[in-house]
Amino acid sequence: MRNKKVTPARVVMYAALVIVLIFMLVPFIWLVISSFRPNVDLFNEPFSVPKHLSFDNYTAVMESHPMLLYFANSVAVAAIATVVSIAAATLAAYAMMHRFMTRKMLTAVFSMCLFIPTNAFMVPYYVMISKAGLYDNILGIALVYAGVNLPMSFMVIKGYMDTIPLELLESAQIDGATNGQAFRRIILPVSKPGIVTACVFLVINSWNELLFANLLNQSDSSRTIQVAIRSFLTTFDANYAYAFAAMVISILPTIIIYALLTDKIIGGMTAGAVKG
Amino acid sequence: MKRRERILYLLPACILITAFFLFPLCYLIYVSFFEWNGLGPMVYVGLENFKAVFEDPEFHMAVKNTVIWMCAALIVHIPFGLVLALMLNRKPRGWKFFRVMYFIPNVISTTAVAFLWYFIYHVDVGLINNVLNAVGLESLAHPWLNDPDSALIANMVPFMLYVGLTMIIFMTQLATVPRELYEAAVVDGATSVQVDLKVYLPLMKPAIITNIMLNLAFCLRTFEYPFLMTGGGPANATTNLSLYIYKEMTGANRYGRSMVAGLATVALGMVVMIFVILLQRERRKERAK
Amino acid sequence: MKKRILSILLTAALTTGMLAGCGGQSGGNETERSDSGAIVLDMYHSWSTDTERGAALDKLIQQFNEENEGEIEVKVTINPDFPAYQEKVKTMISTDTTPDIFHYNFNPNDLSRQESGKLMDFTEYMDDEWRARFGEGDLENLTINGEITSIPFEKAGAVIYYNKDLFAQAGINEFPTTWDGLLDACEKLEAAGITPFSLYTADDAWYTCNLFTYLAASYAGIDTLNKGGDINTPEMKQAAEMLREFWNYTTGDAIGANYSVASNNFASGKTAMAIDGPWLIGTLSEVEDQIGIAKAPSFGDGKVPENYVVTDAQTPWAAAATDDKEKEEAIVKFMKFITSEESVKQLTLDGAVFLSPKLDLEDPDVQATGGLLGEYLALNSSAEDSTINIQRNLSTAANSALPSLLESLALDNITPDEFVEQLAAENE
Repeated sequence: MRNKKVTPARVVMYAALVIVLIFMLVPFIWLVISSFRPNVDLFNEPFSVPKHLSFDNYTAVMESHPMLLYFANSVAVAAIATVVSIAAATLAAYAMMHRFMTRKMLTAVFSMCLFIPTNAFMVPYYVMISKAGLYDNILGIALVYAGVNLPMSFMVIKGYMDTIPLELLESAQIDGATNGQAFRRIILPVSKPGIVTACVFLVINSWNELLFANLLNQSDSSRTIQVAIRSFLTTFDANYAYAFAAMVISILPTIIIYALLTDKIIGGMTAGAVKG
Repeated sequence: MKRRERILYLLPACILITAFFLFPLCYLIYVSFFEWNGLGPMVYVGLENFKAVFEDPEFHMAVKNTVIWMCAALIVHIPFGLVLALMLNRKPRGWKFFRVMYFIPNVISTTAVAFLWYFIYHVDVGLINNVLNAVGLESLAHPWLNDPDSALIANMVPFMLYVGLTMIIFMTQLATVPRELYEAAVVDGATSVQVDLKVYLPLMKPAIITNIMLNLAFCLRTFEYPFLMTGGGPANATTNLSLYIYKEMTGANRYGRSMVAGLATVALGMVVMIFVILLQRERRKERAK
Repeated sequence: MKKRILSILLTAALTTGMLAGCGGQSGGNETERSDSGAIVLDMYHSWSTDTERGAALDKLIQQFNEENEGEIEVKVTINPDFPAYQEKVKTMISTDTTPDIFHYNFNPNDLSRQESGKLMDFTEYMDDEWRARFGEGDLENLTINGEITSIPFEKAGAVIYYNKDLFAQAGINEFPTTWDGLLDACEKLEAAGITPFSLYTADDAWYTCNLFTYLAASYAGIDTLNKGGDINTPEMKQAAEMLREFWNYTTGDAIGANYSVASNNFASGKTAMAIDGPWLIGTLSEVEDQIGIAKAPSFGDGKVPENYVVTDAQTPWAAAATDDKEKEEAIVKFMKFITSEESVKQLTLDGAVFLSPKLDLEDPDVQATGGLLGEYLALNSSAEDSTINIQRNLSTAANSALPSLLESLALDNITPDEFVEQLAAENE
């Protein structure tokens, strides 16, 4: 067992951990409190003890904007992007477990793409998606996310599959399993932690993305929650209190999901994040 | 695996890579030689766009700031995450709680975080200035985002502070370190800090490389912080490559120049790649010894 | 087993295939029809229904849809962030997804939209009756290469709103008639703990440019300014210098602030002055009785008439070109409706907008308009001369550089002379 005595070093360490925690979370606590205060108070006495707390900002935001639709859009975009990207990455990573001529070259191309900052491709993506008739369509945004995140998902999943002993695959083949069977019955279950990690990355990235969502969106029908928050502050009436409420609404689901799935998310990442 | 079957497995990924990386890259190179406002005809101008962009002081600023962001990742963000990971690795009481809490900002969207910090820095209604006023330090109150001297740092603070993901990646690696190594060191009479430095740190290289890669890539494409907090201002003090590309495209309607800046960003990405490859090679050499 | 993988693979390939596959589709040409067979017109504009003018416009569109039920249906998409909206429209034109009906800021130095060949030409529909609806010269200004691709609509004066209560608190009872007097007033306001001006630099820096244009007009005279040409002139430099002085009297968040922040500062009583259009009135309901509208100051040297205004650019309607005659006619019907006397009256009185299509000033309802809107209408219709906000004639590149140049000026990174020179260089 480790030394659990109270030593000065331990006290210092705790103090440091707590201070870091305060710095990280106080802004969010301030946000939540402010979101319950009227706009006038925010301006006139921003830091006094709040006198009027109410749900008014929330009801006003929910009434004037289709927040649920924005949510649904964000969820749909994240889901489609994750499924497409992870499916493509997993299939490719599995193929890479076999030896073939162009394997090295393909891997090199894929990993090089990891370093290409896709924000450089604003114009090409815009033109491509519009030509494909997917402008202002959640499918267009989701596809861009799936593509942009593919090298990352591929590397994470491949990194994990690389640690699977090849004998496992070979023994399956000796048993007469087809490639598809070997993939589904053996490789897929074993590489689950890697896939989960990639999924977590993808869902977080897709949920949080603003640049392309903004670029490829025109109407409510494809507006994601991030684009919606942005428009709150740039529209005519700069009502900070409403903006705060909208931000809390947008943050809430991720926090709830995180709270419910903490072990899965952190555990999954811990299992799959670094290999090699 | 037969060739035909293999192609089927590889096809979806290859389509995506071609559509979203290889084709756009070619397109970028092609259009960078044209003057184009996005609406009218494209006019071939040779290297004019390159010349204009490379001579533009705003572009210099954008490159400089992007590099500063990457330095902040290397000098502040990653070491900070490492220190937190090492502290939590000692498994003090409640370490799981801290781990969960530190990761919270990472599940919150950058858009929300950037807006939140915009308000935190706000001259009048902002948290920072009001706290300073409340504790009698009015003299330190400052228009954080409106002063070119503080705006860039202010932009980077949330990034430097929210190290949850980086920390988790370090902790993952730490969890794989065999317990015997630690115990052997303790038997030898090493202090905790010595254990961290001598036992753990040398074994962390893969996680360090992963983190360098992820964070540099993030810095290269970060857009939300400067876009939402300062719009690149004041006087371009916080502009970066993403924003420069965006402004040349949607603001000034100079698509050709936007593409040139895009190419420059890709080039910077390649520099980062070479850096990471060198680090990996170094590590392999060490291993081989 | 294999089937399942194949099906996953196929869905993935299909979705991505959509990208590679359908390249030839162009959004602008095909006529969409609703279930009842009505022609659907996709309209894109920036007037949020949360604002008075947005609500007024929305009411009119609904009325139009009811009147034409089963024949025409106008479907509206709104993007209230005007600078972002403008960018979006341009990109939509470039990708052949031009909205059927939209509005934009007219800029004689940026005719990319008109010259794209993707806008509808109204020439053959422009009969004398319709032509007579528009203010003098407005239609001519919008006729580009012999084509009428834009229908004149909004053309609002940006006037100086001031908070009388705050002025009184600082001991000022009359709004100054000279710029130097205004500077003194700012000094007094500041001394009384009141921030004088709402200004901002982000997006289009519109408030700041309004002030700059008023100053430039006062130095150079309106005729000189209206002639256009090179902006690198001594008068511009003087105006920039004066602008820099006024910058000492604005809010701490002016650098980097956008329209909503700056206008909110005025509407919430934090600042004493803002130069804005009539739509501001709608947001002032809580403080309306404290607010007055002032005639712009001058240098008292007769360069400008006593009552002059800086107007914003024309914000006309335009439409996507189409091969479908029926659709063209539907669009024309809507345009005629929205510029009709009755529509204009409703928009002005309910929506507080000032339009190019003529308003019947003899109408008893219009005459009875009191309050700020009445003041605004009186000032606008009695203006002896006007000029357009300087930035509306700048090139897109110069406009894009404007925020950072203004910030550099405010931070003393560049001198007023350099400000004008660099702006002129970007404008070339």
